Amino acid sequence: MYPFWEGLGIHSTLYLAVVSAFHVLVSHLTVAAAWFNLYLERRAVKERREELYAYLKRSALGLLVFAYVFGALAGVGIWQTTTSANPRGISTLIHNFVLFWGSEWYMFLIDVIGIIAYYYTFDRVSRQTHLRLAWILALGGTGTLSIIVGILSFKLTPGLWLETGNSLNGFFNPTFWPQVFLRFAFMFAITAAWSVFVAAGLPKGYFDRERIIRKASAFGLVGLIVGVLVWLVWYEPALPLRAKAILPSPAIPQPTFPMIYFGLLATFIGLLFALIAPGRQRQFMALGALAIMFLAIFGAERTREVLRKPDIIFGYMSSNQLLFNDLPARGIVSEERALAQTGMLGHLPFVPAPDAIASTSGDMTFGIGDPEVSMGRALAIQQCGSCHSVSDQTALTIAGVRLDLRSQAFLLKRRNLVTADQIDTYLKAIGGFPYMHPFVGSDAERRALARYLEAFLHHTYPETAELAKMQSQAR
Amino acid sequence: MTVGEMLKLMRDPLGAPFYPPALQVLLVVTWVLHIFFVTTALGTSALSIFAFTAKKGAGLWLQAGRLAARLTPNALGLGIVTGIAPLLFVQTIYDPLWYAANTLTGFWSALFIFVVMGGYSLAYVFYLKGSRDGRLLFTAILSLILLFLAGWVMHVLHAVSIRPEQWKQWYMPSGVIDTRGVTFHAYNIPRLVFLLPLQAVLSLAVVMMFASWYLRKRGDDTSFLHWLAALGRTMALVVSPLYGLTGLAWAVTEGPEFGATTLIAVPLVAIGIALTIYFLRLKQPAIRAPLSLGVWLLAVFGVAIVREAVRVASLARYGYTLADYPYHFDWGSILVFGVTTIVGVMVVLYLILVLYQANASQEGTVSLRVERLGKVATGMLGAWFGFFVLMGLYSTFVLR
Ligand code: HEC
Ligand code: HEM
Repeated sequence: MYPFWEGLGIHSTLYLAVVSAFHVLVSHLTVAAAWFNLYLERRAVKERREELYAYLKRSALGLLVFAYVFGALAGVGIWQTTTSANPRGISTLIHNFVLFWGSEWYMFLIDVIGIIAYYYTFDRVSRQTHLRLAWILALGGTGTLSIIVGILSFKLTPGLWLETGNSLNGFFNPTFWPQVFLRFAFMFAITAAWSVFVAAGLPKGYFDRERIIRKASAFGLVGLIVGVLVWLVWYEPALPLRAKAILPSPAIPQPTFPMIYFGLLATFIGLLFALIAPGRQRQFMALGALAIMFLAIFGAERTREVLRKPDIIFGYMSSNQLLFNDLPARGIVSEERALAQTGMLGHLPFVPAPDAIASTSGDMTFGIGDPEVSMGRALAIQQCGSCHSVSDQTALTIAGVRLDLRSQAFLLKRRNLVTADQIDTYLKAIGGFPYMHPFVGSDAERRALARYLEAFLHHTYPETAELAKMQSQAR
Repeated sequence: MTVGEMLKLMRDPLGAPFYPPALQVLLVVTWVLHIFFVTTALGTSALSIFAFTAKKGAGLWLQAGRLAARLTPNALGLGIVTGIAPLLFVQTIYDPLWYAANTLTGFWSALFIFVVMGGYSLAYVFYLKGSRDGRLLFTAILSLILLFLAGWVMHVLHAVSIRPEQWKQWYMPSGVIDTRGVTFHAYNIPRLVFLLPLQAVLSLAVVMMFASWYLRKRGDDTSFLHWLAALGRTMALVVSPLYGLTGLAWAVTEGPEFGATTLIAVPLVAIGIALTIYFLRLKQPAIRAPLSLGVWLLAVFGVAIVREAVRVASLARYGYTLADYPYHFDWGSILVFGVTTIVGVMVVLYLILVLYQANASQEGTVSLRVERLGKVATGMLGAWFGFFVLMGLYSTFVLR
């Protein structure tokens, strides 16, 4: 429906993955830090413990600059990158939930103005007033988190929305509640590392240093354990069957699970260490812990996103941005059904008709000046491009090493599909994989796609061209 | 497929959850705040650089440079936050335009955020580490360049979005699809000059007068504040006529394409003249600063309407109008938004009052009335969660 942006150097979805992992780390840290700071500030007020303010000030400046600047910006960044990578996916979310997002915006405004007020009024307002600001920050952050979870979880489990078309059903969907609690628990582990980082930077003689570290790691450990429990007994059971089938499939690339388990274990051990030996904590250790968590979160969030493959909105829109089901409650009919009848080329604004496609022998078709191959390229972009690299443009070559993380050529080679005929046969059955939709289009179009993929494969791995030649000679 | 048919087909089948013209109003209004804050950031950044280079960071300029460097990151933070609101509304009612522009310019759209992050963090670095004496000046300069680049990307996105007749051609120049999204397909320099550098000077000028008014109340150095306000006024006076002229240049370069020459020219020239007269007659820039701020925001509001009118005129060429954008009243989300608006406005008001009062005097006190407001607002924020959970229970167990 829209022009397609494949990415440059790396695939568009990888831009997204990096930005979002970073955002998740920072935003969760921010929310939990607001609660932890509130806890400390309450003690400071109640027990008249002036020293605690030294920690709070440091933490607040760090949060102001790091969390609110980078965290918030990365949030906008996710938006921009998804918009470029998969506009119709975000469009579905926007058109369902724009007013929820608008509500989140207020919470976000509260967070941003709140932290500015919090930081710039430390010694200027009464203790009570400042404590109220701490409350507002904690509540505002939690509000932001609660709202965004409704929107995010909708993508995987739209639940009753698929029948009623009512945004409330989509928002408060089957994985909404477990995910809110899951995130709320895990974020304390992230914040524990942050607090250790801030506290370890306080002067050596500062007598509350170790108490803060101990408190923070206790918070973190509880969060971690509760989080794992919520995952096991509530979140995972709420996942749709099809998503459970994706979990062990190759759609989730290899080191993901070990990375997550390692991250959990390392965090557990790290926090335990901090709890037992708070005096031995150094800033670099906390940074290391944050880095490990970044990797684990990267893996976990990727997994959550991949679980709904091959859909961008589970049961409604495919990854290549077409509606494949009806939604009678909203008078919406499947787009794929009609396109399967008419064929693809020329029937969507940015999927050109055959006569609009030039068959030059340029780089884009690997020097092959054949109209069929050029047509195939248009189809590869539309049908496979949102999940795979379908050209050289997204294969970064660094020092002679080709980094094609999602290359279709690589997969074809691995499958030993070296001729257009073999690929064509394969395409007929591609819907059999749990993580891919069937090809949509006419037989001639499928054939054209196979021709393009063959050309891409032979260009990327010249030895496969030899193989193909040998096979045809043998026959 | 005609351009009009294409635009209609590209609309999201779900439609808008509310009356689209109302969302259009929100789009225009929130954009006023957005552009005010980002231009303030650009202006203050430029001022701090000027103070530490051309004026060698001496005397009054040193104070001005420090103040400006402190304002830049905060203004930018607010500019970003207020940018999110129009971002929501533009893709709700102008989804065909916004999504086409962001995919055709995909690379820059994705890179945009790194550019802003760079500009933002460098602005912070300069404020925290350099603004005392002008060290690390390159951070300030690089920051300004990056922020300007961000504005350029915004401008290109918008320019691409209002030219639907060319999308296909940009996507497949001479029949070969280009999925890289690196080309800046459309821009209009007078428009950009009008919206960014000139408005940056005007926003800066108004903010200088406002700072003078505000800091005077807490008894800061009056000779500096007097100088600051007078300088602000002079800058505004010099730039206002240029502003009108550049508006005219925008009208004659971009207008004919959309049949919107007079539509752009008349209001923008009028705004330029009105501002010139206002600043000419402004004799006590510090004392009148709140009024000047109001006048300037009103002018920007006028510009925002013109901007929107250009988009409407462009689409009207293809018989496309928001009036027939599909919508339905989605009561659930309207209710959530309504309630959150009340709570949000109360809390934000409280926060702003605290910030304002705490820094308006040397010792910093918050009045009892504001404190009472705070109690109520915080209570409302807590109660919001009760409301939210109730909505959730209702949707989970009752609504089918
Ligand atoms: C929804 C996303 C998605 C789309 C769209 C998609 N694929 Fe895949 N594809 C995957 C995933 C995930 C894998 C598993 C990756 C792996 O095996 O490493 C995969 C694997 C493959 C494989 C290797 C499978 C095997 O036999 O091991 C081939 C070949 C392939 N895809 C071709 C295609 C073609 C051709 C298209 C376009 C018609 C396409 N894919 C569209 C997600 C997608
Ligand atoms: C330094 C940063 C920024 C600068 C200098 C900047 C500048 C601008 C300018 C000049 C325009 C008007 C473009 C035109 O009409 O030609 C604009 C529009 C806009 N900006 Fe920004 N901007 C910045 C950051 C942001 C951010 C971070 C966001 C999002 C969160 C954002 C959201 C928007 C939106 C939604 C529009 C309106 C687009 C439309 O109406 O089509 N901006 N900005």
